[in-house]
Amino acid sequence: MNSPPLTVVLIVPTGVGASIGGFAGDALPVARAIAQVSDTLITHPNVLNGAQLYWPIPNALYVEGYALDKFAAGCWGLQPVHQNRIGLIVDCAIEPELQLRHLQAVDAARATLGLNVSDCILTDRPLEVELRISESGASWGTIGNPDSLLRAAEKLIRQAKVEAIAVVARFPDDEGSIALENYRRGKGVDPLAGAEAVISHLIVRTFKIPCAHAPALSALPLDPQLSPRSAAEEIGYTFLPCVLAGLSKAPQFVGPESALGSQLSITADRVDAVVIPATACGGSAILSLSGRSSVQIIAVGDNKTQMQVPPEKLGIKALQVNSYLEAIGVLVALRAGITPTSLGADISSLRCLSESTKQI
Amino acid sequence: MTTHFISAEVDLHDTAEELHSAIETELQKHGEPLRWAVTDVDVDRQKAVVEGYVLVESSPVAA
Repeated sequence: MNSPPLTVVLIVPTGVGASIGGFAGDALPVARAIAQVSDTLITHPNVLNGAQLYWPIPNALYVEGYALDKFAAGCWGLQPVHQNRIGLIVDCAIEPELQLRHLQAVDAARATLGLNVSDCILTDRPLEVELRISESGASWGTIGNPDSLLRAAEKLIRQAKVEAIAVVARFPDDEGSIALENYRRGKGVDPLAGAEAVISHLIVRTFKIPCAHAPALSALPLDPQLSPRSAAEEIGYTFLPCVLAGLSKAPQFVGPESALGSQLSITADRVDAVVIPATACGGSAILSLSGRSSVQIIAVGDNKTQMQVPPEKLGIKALQVNSYLEAIGVLVALRAGITPTSLGADISSLRCLSESTKQI
Repeated sequence: MTTHFISAEVDLHDTAEELHSAIETELQKHGEPLRWAVTDVDVDRQKAVVEGYVLVESSPVAA
């Protein structure tokens, strides 16, 4: 018997202090597990990027957040690829030795992983990244010279014909700050994440091309109390390998008409389920997908965040579960054509739409 | 081009899709929405608190 493929979107919003996935790619085990019970998993760099660590998931699509929002809104489709030709943008504010570390990481990815990273370019001005924490507790930031970033991207696309762009920007060393101390202990909010999202969103929005970002930072002193959730970012000199691995097979973005013409392309109407932290249901993608009656929203309670937006406050119909283990059980049930609530002890009465039940 | 952080309150709507549109409309008053999320909901006042970034185009990109 042929069943339609099960397509699942996994979202762990960036920079909101998610207790699972708010650190160094620490939702990757969740993604690996969900991919096992899905035909296609669509997720984003914050979930899959673990600095030096990553895990190739054959049926996962690595989709940058701005593109994920456009996909969810039905504006863009996702076109899988065999391999992307990647270009690298390096912030000219990065010190020469740290630049060389990143270029050697690229060489390692080319020689050891066989990735096609063809060209690199230095920005013509320092990107000047600044970090902030908003009133809600989310991290955000700005870049002082977005035009310089876009000029570099345009040159890579026009001259080198790259199909995906990795960006390395110099981020402020925040050594000694409470935010960094908390982050290294597996608590609080990733202070870099919000600004990283702005950088990749700018390029994806402008050029409609896959993009991901790795911050360049000075090495931190050894910390014996380092949390396992943050440890992936302290085992090397750069955060770039996971970005290159992800971009290498990231799907291209196509218009909805092009997507309809290709059997391989995936559009929002193919989505069966979305898995999201229960307190962070206020993002653009989840609001868009919740409007599709065929999409099962699964809200995971024990992935706490700084947000205060459970699905019911926005009128989003969701199945609330305690853990990702439980969410995976729901996905298995959906795949098998079993109503998830029928696996519990209490089954609600049949709803009757007639005005009178005398005849029933 | 510059990026700006915006915090705003938007009326809650009957559906999430309507709320999505209302948020985009509100942010467009300040620039082109780049990234946003509802960060809190005041059920009593029927307001959603939204934080986001917008892009503001300035003079053409200088070479």
